[in-house]
Amino acid sequence: MRSIDSRRGVLAGIFGATLALTACGGPSESAASSASSAVRISAGVDDCGKGWASPHGGRQTFELHNTTVAGEEVHLENAATGALYLDVESLGADARQQATVTLGNGTYRFVCLPSDGEAALGAKVTITGSKDVAGATPPLKPVTRNELIPALKSYQTWVRGRLPVLQTQVQQLETDLKAGDLASARASWLAAHQTYETLGAAYGAFGDLDGAINGLPAPGKTARQDHHLEGFHRIEALLYGGAPASDITPYASRLVRSVSDLRSAFVSGRVDPVDIGLRSHEILENALEFELTGRTDAGSHTALATVDANLTGTREALEPLRTILAERYPDLAATERALDTSQHLIRTFQGADGEWTPLSALTRSQREKVNAQIDATLELLAPVAAICDPRRTS
Amino acid sequence: MRRDPEVTGVSRRNLLGGAAAGAVAVAAGSTLLPRSASAATDTASHQYAFEGVHQRGILTPAQAQASYVALDVTASSKAELVDLFRTITSTARSLTKGGTPPDTGLATPPSDSGVLGPVVPSDGLTITTSVGASLFDDRFGLADRKPARLRRMEDFPNDDLDRAVCDGDLLLQICGHHQDTTLHALREITRATRGAMQVRWRRDGFHSPPRPAGSSRNLMGFRDGTANPSTADASLMNQLVWTRSGGDEPDWVDGGSYHVVRQIRMLVEFWDRISIREQENIFGRRRDSGAPLTGSKEHDVPDYAADPSGEVIQMDAHIRLANPHTAHAKKQQILRRGYNYDGGTDANGNLDMGLIFTCFNADLERQFVAIQKRLADEPLVDYVSPFGGGYFFALPGVRDHQDWLGRRLLT
Ligand code: HEM
Repeated sequence: MRSIDSRRGVLAGIFGATLALTACGGPSESAASSASSAVRISAGVDDCGKGWASPHGGRQTFELHNTTVAGEEVHLENAATGALYLDVESLGADARQQATVTLGNGTYRFVCLPSDGEAALGAKVTITGSKDVAGATPPLKPVTRNELIPALKSYQTWVRGRLPVLQTQVQQLETDLKAGDLASARASWLAAHQTYETLGAAYGAFGDLDGAINGLPAPGKTARQDHHLEGFHRIEALLYGGAPASDITPYASRLVRSVSDLRSAFVSGRVDPVDIGLRSHEILENALEFELTGRTDAGSHTALATVDANLTGTREALEPLRTILAERYPDLAATERALDTSQHLIRTFQGADGEWTPLSALTRSQREKVNAQIDATLELLAPVAAICDPRRTS
Repeated sequence: MRRDPEVTGVSRRNLLGGAAAGAVAVAAGSTLLPRSASAATDTASHQYAFEGVHQRGILTPAQAQASYVALDVTASSKAELVDLFRTITSTARSLTKGGTPPDTGLATPPSDSGVLGPVVPSDGLTITTSVGASLFDDRFGLADRKPARLRRMEDFPNDDLDRAVCDGDLLLQICGHHQDTTLHALREITRATRGAMQVRWRRDGFHSPPRPAGSSRNLMGFRDGTANPSTADASLMNQLVWTRSGGDEPDWVDGGSYHVVRQIRMLVEFWDRISIREQENIFGRRRDSGAPLTGSKEHDVPDYAADPSGEVIQMDAHIRLANPHTAHAKKQQILRRGYNYDGGTDANGNLDMGLIFTCFNADLERQFVAIQKRLADEPLVDYVSPFGGGYFFALPGVRDHQDWLGRRLLT
């Protein structure tokens, strides 16, 4: 079921980087040596980078000392390309922090970025004559807030375009219930819930409105027992638990109102550029934690439908980042193929009639396959947030 | 202090109390090492060589901590399976050696969980990889490569097996001097192989320090491991532990071993309510000293010739059934390497603890199964309940830095 690239991506790609520990004399020895041999670097505004006396290739530890009176961020960059080897954030006034890198030949410099001022550039330092440095720290071309804004805008435009669809679907649910047509109501519920689950509301992205729309029952209670619960899961519990349509209708009407509140909130709401990178792996982390454990199921047994929607949502979050990632993430193609493979696998559990197989009906080996495929995809998605973490350059 | 034939390198400085000299590798067999040291620094650089004719974690003296993890392979082709074994090999090789995790830069999360700090100590880590019968089903075309005796563990008469915690395509037996070391290894291995295998069941165990001397005690209070065959006797190990190709065994099994794991719950509250006399009769040994009832010291050999009708050691005592000391029984001996486990509590407030019975044997049928059958309905069964585990086959060792686990099985 898994494509060849998830193998490459996970076993060769990630692990290729993870595996080889560099043998050394022993833990206490190297701890001692790095403490004593750390190169002390001043990271003030006037003396940024001072102290890098005898530059050499290989693994080395710097002790960065913030000599200013405020918080600071310190980079070690490639002086020619601006790509970063180190990014020490939140260094307090007068604090010292050690950081280790492995450098080959090249021209480098420290950049000191006080929280309240402009970047100070350190002197350029050139390393020559080091041959075949093993395990050199790979540089990262930093991603700025400004670069992320177009991506964010395009993601928001997509989300905004889905909200009217969601609204129509929840209205249909309300109409079905008012007509007493429970079979249609179930179909409408699933369609609306899937749409919502593509929107990447994971981890509080929609604030309190997510609680009203897609909240989970209070600890120790089921969605049926929790009378304070509203939204999709409350409706699900009633719809699949034998309640009469008239008991469910008021919840559907409330859901219609919450969705329209979300539409207005989303127009005025601002999203932080940091969110977009996070979103592209958090949606699926959420699916693994809550859907593939069956925790959110309130009776519809449609966890796999939710995972399918979450995969769609992940692709949509990743899509606007492609240009940024293309030059920074060698496993981008493998990641996209893993998402394809995942979605293909999940959809094998949807019958021709559109019915989804309940999670509990999967055999042990089917469930292991699903978990393994989503796990592998998550490992590939993990670097996206690290790369798209907005960094200052000036 | 005891001599440990498997130790190949160790930082002398640690043993000598932290002198400033750099780490010195000490030639194999020339090092004295504390069996279970208390401080982390005593054992941090204690290293078992990964490569060898046999895997480590079999003859290796039991380290203090173990993690048993059974996994199912989710790789979907033979090529992916090969990748999986290569990755397990390279990860295990690297972890057992220790060192500094690679710096993958700002574009990725850290390459190591950091659980053991910035420099990973070897800390006596061994990772023993074994295969279960289900790996030889139709998925990878390995049916005709299956070790002849390997099969799904059967239910024995007194068993209460929960199949959710039995069997598995693979078993990793991860042992080390500290629990953070074994759990770190487990996390790094599962991360490195994500997508290609899934954990099926898992159980952590510990090996108690001598109280006050002799073999480590199990949670029934008895010394356990006393009557094991000597691991220093290579020809004995060849007869009892290492499987050989030929006969009905396939050509790749040389140097491997049948690896039996049985998760056995002890009903400790019930056990603690019976008299010492009854406890000692059930095993046939003294609780405090570990001596057989026919002898006076732990390592005295039980004298069944002088006790033919079981006046001293009853005929159905655990040790007498397990090893009646007949000529026949000699060939049935197994190498036990169990760990105690602590698993929390039951709904009724009883404590869940017991033994992760583990043994290695050259021939599952001739050795383990024969003994287990003889133990059916022994008096001990009222106080224990086997609920999980499985039969596995510990792969032959990794010969050199290019070799990998399972190479001879898969190529
Ligand atoms: C919770 C379950 C068990 C407990 C508490 C237990 C405990 C003991 C104890 C206290 C001894 C005596 C000390 C020693 O020689 O190590 C012993 C010996 C032994 N046990 Fe067990 N055991 C258990 C299960 C098993 C099982 C499942 C087997 C194998 C099928 C087994 C095989 C043996 C053998 C072969 C000996 C050595 C007999 C001799 O050579 O004198 N035990 N066990």
